Amino acid sequence: MAAVPEVIPYPEVRRDLWRPLERTGRSYSIWVIILLAIALWGLSCWGYQLYRGIGVAGIRRPVFWGFYLVDFVFWIGISHAGTLISAILRLTDANWRKPVTRAAEAITVFALMIGGLFPIIHLGRAWVFYWLIPYPNSRLLWPNFRSPLLWDLTAITTYLTGSTIYLFLPLIPDVAQLAEHASGWRRALYRKLSLGWTGSDREWHALERAMKLMAAIILAVAISVHTVVAWDFSMAIAPMWHSTIFGPYFVVGAIFSGIAALLLVMSIIRKTLHFERYLTPHHFNNLAKLLLLMSLLWLYFTVAENLTVWYGNEPKEMAVFGDRIRGHFAPYFWIMVVCNFVVPFVLLGIRRLRNIRTATIASITVLVGMWLERYIIIVPTLSMPRLAAAWGSYSPSWVEISITGATFAVMALLYLLFSKLFPLVSVWEFEPHPAEQD
Amino acid sequence: MYLRGDFENDHSAAHALRQLRAVGFTPADIDVFSDEPIEFPKGVLPRPSRMSLTVVTGAVSFMLLAVGFVYYTQHNYPLVTGGMPLFSFWATGVIFYELTMLGAILTTLVCFLWESGLLRRSRRPVPIIEPGIICIRIGCLPDQADEARRALERAGARNIARMEVAE
Repeated sequence: MAAVPEVIPYPEVRRDLWRPLERTGRSYSIWVIILLAIALWGLSCWGYQLYRGIGVAGIRRPVFWGFYLVDFVFWIGISHAGTLISAILRLTDANWRKPVTRAAEAITVFALMIGGLFPIIHLGRAWVFYWLIPYPNSRLLWPNFRSPLLWDLTAITTYLTGSTIYLFLPLIPDVAQLAEHASGWRRALYRKLSLGWTGSDREWHALERAMKLMAAIILAVAISVHTVVAWDFSMAIAPMWHSTIFGPYFVVGAIFSGIAALLLVMSIIRKTLHFERYLTPHHFNNLAKLLLLMSLLWLYFTVAENLTVWYGNEPKEMAVFGDRIRGHFAPYFWIMVVCNFVVPFVLLGIRRLRNIRTATIASITVLVGMWLERYIIIVPTLSMPRLAAAWGSYSPSWVEISITGATFAVMALLYLLFSKLFPLVSVWEFEPHPAEQD
Repeated sequence: MYLRGDFENDHSAAHALRQLRAVGFTPADIDVFSDEPIEFPKGVLPRPSRMSLTVVTGAVSFMLLAVGFVYYTQHNYPLVTGGMPLFSFWATGVIFYELTMLGAILTTLVCFLWESGLLRRSRRPVPIIEPGIICIRIGCLPDQADEARRALERAGARNIARMEVAE
């Protein structure tokens, strides 16, 4: 996958990267309509659930957390794409990240917006969601800060605020340039967003300092967010949840699925927006290697988690373990292993096979595998609580399946709209003479 | 009054900055405009910053506010606990951590806006620059203009011109 670096003159870079903002093809409009229709279907399903009550979802005793919580953990995990690629690589001055960061940061913001919705959807009576917020009130509610669900609320709010600022700051120089060339409402929008940017050295210095600091802060926040999500489970004394490695296990899984999402998005952008000169095989190769590394780390954590349970042979835990490995949930478990380890290991581990196409295939299987992993963690444990008399089963209703499907459409729709307003590759960060040696 | 001079690369721009500093102009009088960030050698155009320190201060302030908020809200409601404590520092540690980080994030944004000078109205003229060009703008008194112009010329500037203060 080694590529000879191409020298692209700056005006050409600008023209290429701005082209998607200026032209709207018919296929773009068709996709927007299709995705909007799916999103509206999901919204109406949520409306139906609000009208009829949470009973229309498949969640019932003892499985009170079903698809909605699986989706919540999955989307929060996807949001780690931006933090890893952008923050770590920015802090380590890795130059190859530059065409990749904006696409990654946008994934973070959109995935968080979607993920953050699920606890509210899951509430049933969503209109009183603000009762979660512990402030002095006259509702006879004692503000309890010790609930892990409140930790989630605080962590996600902080992460969403930070990620939005982290996406916005490096956008400023680009929108300032766009403001000079755009007309009509776009010009007004870009002018407002550019905050009066002039390109002075004071502004560049402040931006670079702020971005370095934000990268360090957002990294610490991102790790804490998924650790807190893991603690939602591990703080409960439930079989196969009460584990000290759940925090890092979830963080690794989140970064893993985040990289997969980024690879998939990059592959689509490259093909549809004709960014072949900017998103080169070099970028895919680096990200594919990172995906492979995370696959191995994921395997290590999965083995560590399951092996200790098996070796401990504690009856309550073994019941859940058995159901996962060879019982009702075994097909999901083994599909997960194939998707998360076997496919990436073969396609990306063998150098001869590693290319953009195989990296895209591996990233799709990883996304499927990681969604299944969340399902495997949440549902079996809830189906088999410590009291055997309380065991039950879960199957999702059409409402849950519709809302889950719609979130993928919403993600794609938000991305499509974003790509029409802002360049998906940072123009000012893209160097006309990329030092891309494999 | 303001003077501008354009340079094609950062070496000649750095040379011009040294010349200007040598004849008595301070970094406060000088601004460099470009369409991408320029890294000058250390000491050529120092821009001291207190962003890191301010961000740490902001983070600590938010943490103290968070502790105070949690303590106050939990004691504000008269919950009967039979003498058991209402407030636990460690059980609410995640909240403090996240709000500390939120403080750091918001302080970084404020520091960026403050240090960059964005959102502040300025009457200084802003040069229009071509892609790849580095423009130096010098704020000077009328009797310093010739000296500034000579310094720019010596460094190889092109398009040396006077800029008018924006109305």
